[in-house]
Amino acid sequence: MTVSTASGEASVSSSDPEAEVIALSPKTLMATNRFVCEICKKGFQRDQNLQLHRRGHNLPWKLRQRSSKEIRKRVYVCPEASCVHHDPSRALGDLTGIKKHFCRKHGEKKWKCEKCSKKYAVQSDWKAHLKTCGTKEYRCDCGTLFSRRDSFITHRAFCDALAEESARAQTAVNSNAEEDTKLQIVATSSPPPPPPPPSTAAISAVLPIQNPELPENPTGIINHIPATTCVNGGGSSSSVFASLFASSTAAVTLQPQTSAFSDLICAMARSERPTNLPPASATEPASLCLSSNNGSSLFAMAAQDRRPYSRPQQPGMSATALLHKAAQMGAAATNASLLCGLGVALSSSSSGQQESLQWNHRMEPESGQVEAGLGLGLPCNVGAELTELMMGSSSLFGPKPTTLDFLGLGMGGGGAPSGGFSALITSIGGGLDVGSTTAPFGGGNSPGRRA
Amino acid sequence: MKTELRGNSKHTSLPNPSLFNTTQDCLSDALKGCLGSLDGACIEKLLLHCASALESKDVTLAQQVMWVLNNVASSVGDPNQRLTSWFLRALISRVSKLCPTAMNLHVAPTLQRTWTRSMTGTELAGYVDLIPWHRFGFCASNSAILKAIQGYPSVHILDFSITHCVQWPTLIEALAKRPEGPPSLRITVPSCRPPVPPLLNVSSEEVGFRLANFAKSRDVPFEFHVIDGSSSSTSSDVLSWEFSFQFELFLGQLSPSMLDLREDEALVINCQNWLRYLPDEQWGNSQGRSLRDEFLGMIKGLNPRIVIMVDEDSDLDVSSLTSRIITCFNYLWIPFDALETFLPKDSCQRTEYEADIGHKIENIIGFEGFQRIERLESGVRLAQRMKNTHFLSVPFSEETINEVKFLLDEHASGWGMKREDDMLVLTWKGHNSVFATAWVPSGIED
Repeated sequence: MTVSTASGEASVSSSDPEAEVIALSPKTLMATNRFVCEICKKGFQRDQNLQLHRRGHNLPWKLRQRSSKEIRKRVYVCPEASCVHHDPSRALGDLTGIKKHFCRKHGEKKWKCEKCSKKYAVQSDWKAHLKTCGTKEYRCDCGTLFSRRDSFITHRAFCDALAEESARAQTAVNSNAEEDTKLQIVATSSPPPPPPPPSTAAISAVLPIQNPELPENPTGIINHIPATTCVNGGGSSSSVFASLFASSTAAVTLQPQTSAFSDLICAMARSERPTNLPPASATEPASLCLSSNNGSSLFAMAAQDRRPYSRPQQPGMSATALLHKAAQMGAAATNASLLCGLGVALSSSSSGQQESLQWNHRMEPESGQVEAGLGLGLPCNVGAELTELMMGSSSLFGPKPTTLDFLGLGMGGGGAPSGGFSALITSIGGGLDVGSTTAPFGGGNSPGRRA
Repeated sequence: MKTELRGNSKHTSLPNPSLFNTTQDCLSDALKGCLGSLDGACIEKLLLHCASALESKDVTLAQQVMWVLNNVASSVGDPNQRLTSWFLRALISRVSKLCPTAMNLHVAPTLQRTWTRSMTGTELAGYVDLIPWHRFGFCASNSAILKAIQGYPSVHILDFSITHCVQWPTLIEALAKRPEGPPSLRITVPSCRPPVPPLLNVSSEEVGFRLANFAKSRDVPFEFHVIDGSSSSTSSDVLSWEFSFQFELFLGQLSPSMLDLREDEALVINCQNWLRYLPDEQWGNSQGRSLRDEFLGMIKGLNPRIVIMVDEDSDLDVSSLTSRIITCFNYLWIPFDALETFLPKDSCQRTEYEADIGHKIENIIGFEGFQRIERLESGVRLAQRMKNTHFLSVPFSEETINEVKFLLDEHASGWGMKREDDMLVLTWKGHNSVFATAWVPSGIED
């Protein structure tokens, strides 16, 4: 049983094969107030609303009964072909929802809030915004402003400003020097830079005057709990679950394992503590943590090279051409893998460097050459990984069974990978024209321009 | 979602149509319907074909598809492109593991930094505020807890979640305002959590310290504990143990003595985004029950006043890789779509949030066996599981519903909520995203 949502959109599952998919035209969707009262010409979005209005004119009115044989649920798709909701599996469940969506997303935003300049396509959205805009503002001592109360409260609890304030308060209390159970704070007096020294682990601010069960010893809470430790000193954070669930302290030192999972945990456990992620890395997440024991990074990310918007524009390939190329490569590839071509193609593009050199420089860590050539919007330096795997299969693992293709699956057929590989490079490297993935399709002159 | 070809509206015409009819070219056959545009439906098809190629070890086809996907993917493009980029990464991860030789790939610093970046408390507070994905569960839970503990002078919350207690300040605030005065509040957390984002740059103890300070500022008596279950084991021993054995120790932390349960305390158990990390396979020691069921049985045995269960509403634990990929794609588009509505494409916050989802995708698609720790089941299935464990569902009050609605109104339009039986479900444009449920032990045993 479902109830209409707060946003007025009925529910729909992502793929309901039974639903009838209805595609209305933009004109229909934009049309508001199709139902007009004959007396006063007032317009309504829905017939039901008109009928109710008609009562006011003492006109006969009739509400249509919900059809009892509601055989097929209706879902509505957006007529805008590029829109996410054009796809039936992303259809919206009711007419009002799709109309609102269409206006909001594809309509002109003609309603503007004067205070904050936010624009709205739907008048009711604009009105709703006006009610709250600027009406409530919460300011933390640290200077941050919040429009939402629970954001403010949550922030405040973790904000250093509060910690400093309480530290000042505590200093005042301590100076009164009473063993008073009234206000015992098991806390360090200094503002807490993480982590606090274990012995004073300031876990509990104990103010339970009323609770007779609690000992009055200021540190008693810690000592009196059987088998429960409030203090997780450095050592015990290497708890039994370290390998399973890395403690968020990241103080665990784990022995390297061969499994990728453990390595992931290693990565977690050894996480650096920077609180600021340099923007470059934020836009370009790099390759995976795969099974590895050694710490050397063969392909460091020269993240600066990877900024997508600085990537030179390549004429993009249409989907058709892409598939065509893929099919060609598939047909052409025997033992050498498609993605060898991928790696090569990528490296032979935008930066114009001849990346075949990279095979020889493979062992040089932090080599920026690879990245420069691969800069084609690979979301995560995919190309480097692929290149690495290719190189791995072609040269690093030379002595291994030569039937390994780039994935090392040993299923790609026979033949020396290196031989087929260079042949593939020659055949594909020059010709492949891979567009920037910020505009992978079409003319390549509108990067990122999406609905 | 659809990604339409832009730029020149005139597409390259197919030079040699017959090429696509060659039987040796599965890719073109498979993708005939996609000619002319690569939209969300096509990406889905591509993923599907990649998945089945992987399952049948058709390397060539897998590579072909991944090559095409690579040209779609972009971590700073539109939601489809961004989502695809994370899927592609996960597929590569999976494919790489098929390589019999240990590839010496290492996490390049930037990704490692992205995925293992840890936030400050205030950054985490902002993180959960981007979209109501987490706050929905917090809000419903806190409201239900408030109601359940009415009249109790002491409350003990067992908090099993991955968001480092950012839920609790608002509850503490609400408790401070209770007409009859605040109860004394105790919060206990396990010493471990799954190795998943979001990561915090301080220890649980430090979190407790912050909460204690905050509670003090609101005059709420407060204690914070981290359960320490470690015995004499050293970390190096631990790593060589079986995975399930470690869970046994985790369960060992859940005894009344370990938790120091006290009389006259209302015990509240809050599980948010937690149960999915407990394996559901049959588990050695326990009469055919899985660890997940065992956990539920144990918390039931603690006789809580209320148990809150919140998780994401999708079935991502099926064994078929293909099903998982498709289900995942048709579910995780939701946060990507939501973030698109109000954050620009180059927003760091957005990219980081998406990267964390990508981490999840990578685990779901790139790993198998015990390494695949994301074993999400939908609300409907969880509800059945709870009933099988003799829990009774508790409906959320009208007050709670109103509070949740109020919360959603403060976010982008498109977020909604619906009720399915006693379950509250957060929806984005009508699609289920997160469910919240409340339970009490039924007291009826067979």
